[in-house]
Amino acid sequence: MSLTDLTGQLVNGLVISVFYALTALGLSLIFGVLRIVNFAHGELYMMGGFAYYVAASVAGIPPVAAVLAASAAVFLLGALLERLLIAPIHDGKVDRPDEYAIMITFALSILLQSLMLSVFGPWSKRPEPIFRGRVELGTLIISGDRLAAAVVGALVIAGTILVLQYTRAGKAVRAVSQDREAAEVLGVDVRLVGMLAFGIGAALAGAAGALMGPVFNVTPTMGIIPVIKAYVIVVLGGLGSMRGAILGALILGEVEVLAMVLIPDTTRALAYKDAYGLALLVLVLLFRPQGLFGTAGRRA
Amino acid sequence: MTAAWSPARLAGLALLLAFALFPLSGVQPYWTYTVTVGFYYAILAASWSLLVGYVGRISFAHAALAGLGAYVSVLAVTLAGLPVAGGVLAGVLATGLLGLGIGWLCLRLHGAYLGLTTIAFAEIMRIAITAEYAVTRGSLGLRAPPLLPGAGPVAYYYAILAALLASLALMWLLLRSRIGLFFQAIREDEDGASSLGVRVTLWKILAFAVSSAFAGLAGALYVHVVQLVAPSMMTIRESAFILTMAVIGGFQNVFHAALGGVFLWVVLETLRDMGDWRLTIFGVVAILILRYAPDGLFGAIAERLNGRRRGK
Repeated sequence: MSLTDLTGQLVNGLVISVFYALTALGLSLIFGVLRIVNFAHGELYMMGGFAYYVAASVAGIPPVAAVLAASAAVFLLGALLERLLIAPIHDGKVDRPDEYAIMITFALSILLQSLMLSVFGPWSKRPEPIFRGRVELGTLIISGDRLAAAVVGALVIAGTILVLQYTRAGKAVRAVSQDREAAEVLGVDVRLVGMLAFGIGAALAGAAGALMGPVFNVTPTMGIIPVIKAYVIVVLGGLGSMRGAILGALILGEVEVLAMVLIPDTTRALAYKDAYGLALLVLVLLFRPQGLFGTAGRRA
Repeated sequence: MTAAWSPARLAGLALLLAFALFPLSGVQPYWTYTVTVGFYYAILAASWSLLVGYVGRISFAHAALAGLGAYVSVLAVTLAGLPVAGGVLAGVLATGLLGLGIGWLCLRLHGAYLGLTTIAFAEIMRIAITAEYAVTRGSLGLRAPPLLPGAGPVAYYYAILAALLASLALMWLLLRSRIGLFFQAIREDEDGASSLGVRVTLWKILAFAVSSAFAGLAGALYVHVVQLVAPSMMTIRESAFILTMAVIGGFQNVFHAALGGVFLWVVLETLRDMGDWRLTIFGVVAILILRYAPDGLFGAIAERLNGRRRGK
């Protein structure tokens, strides 16, 4: 493999990592605040894809505005679902909260998938990309739609981190995720923060879906593989850790593109691309189950 | 516990009699066949509820495990020349061992890790089986040799009904044994059980392995009935199906979950024209049941028959 090929692969890995990070960040945020793993996260990603398709290709809104519109729509959906299905856990209204949280979010995922299959059918849609054409960096050629989507994705991640770091709402989110009881005693409205966190987490997944829709097509099952990667990333980074989610995404993205060269047969190499994450997951569970930035001790 | 001949148990016996007589009642072979497939889902839903309802751990790999048991069985017969019964046994062993492995990997940790890992495993198993075209013929699938060569739908019906009843009997024996008590102790209060000397991790791993082996059994038997095995039986969506069946039937009791499997499958077949709307509706029903009636449909019926509210 020549140096240019290698650089190309590394850049591709970086681009992919941005989308992984968007999805994983939302998952981690939700876990941090609500102490649940959202098994419907992939379907929120998928809803983002469909919302983008409706906004960009049906309503004809310009692509970047359509990404924002799609994220806002998924934010509202997430906030609504949190109020209806997740908030009762913290209000002590469900019997076995741990099992309930896993099953209810998984049931929700299948409901959303079936709903989209019923409404839009199984055929894949290809909405308008943000940018067409190719970008040449020296001898390196990257397809423009991916690069543009990655740039927007990176901006969204940066914006989210700034909001969490410096705004009042962001500080409340971080406070609840550090210590729920203490935050409540100090006057933070934990119910509102929970709804907000789920909404933002959903919106991040929705943004990822909206950005990836034009690259990989929009289908009702588009969320399955990306969310499995997000699970691997949050376990690798440490459940609930934002830094962990971003670093984990970078590691997985690069491992995937570099490991591609291990299998010479291209079709099989492509099929197994998604399996490296599992290998990584097994290694983490074996050697560092709390993840890179997780703390040892009892976890979800 | 309810009395030995509580109304709910009598209703269960009546239902059993109805299932035993069903193929003889002059129904079309299509319905006999449909209920037979329903029994496959019943074993799966019961095996899932054995894990979720009694130990409180959740797997999303049950459809994939059924598929793995099925592929192992078919390949053991076609490549290694085993008889079909030997193939099924190999499938059960393979899934049980994989269950031990995955369980050992994740169950030293708490709750959601098993869910996360089983989803990833399930999808990768499906992808790997689809990709290894030379052995599995990819998504086209493989022809599976028949379980009962030359037999008609009625014989298959009774064979799978017998397998379902045997599975339920084994699960019931396990659950009312000392081990079953350990399971429930873990579900109620893991740390408490551990402090009283229950080997929490060991029993959780065992529960997952047993549950996996039953899934493997269901899958292996099923493909020798339909005589085709394909990766489409291993999707996450199929696992979601199993969850929906167990939840709607009542996942806190293996018998209710099994009934949910048969019942939901028959309803799905009846409403075939509705396509994907069926699963949309069942998804809503499953969510409502989880939220407001966690004992499920048959749990609620049993309670009503016994004429009292669930005592706690």
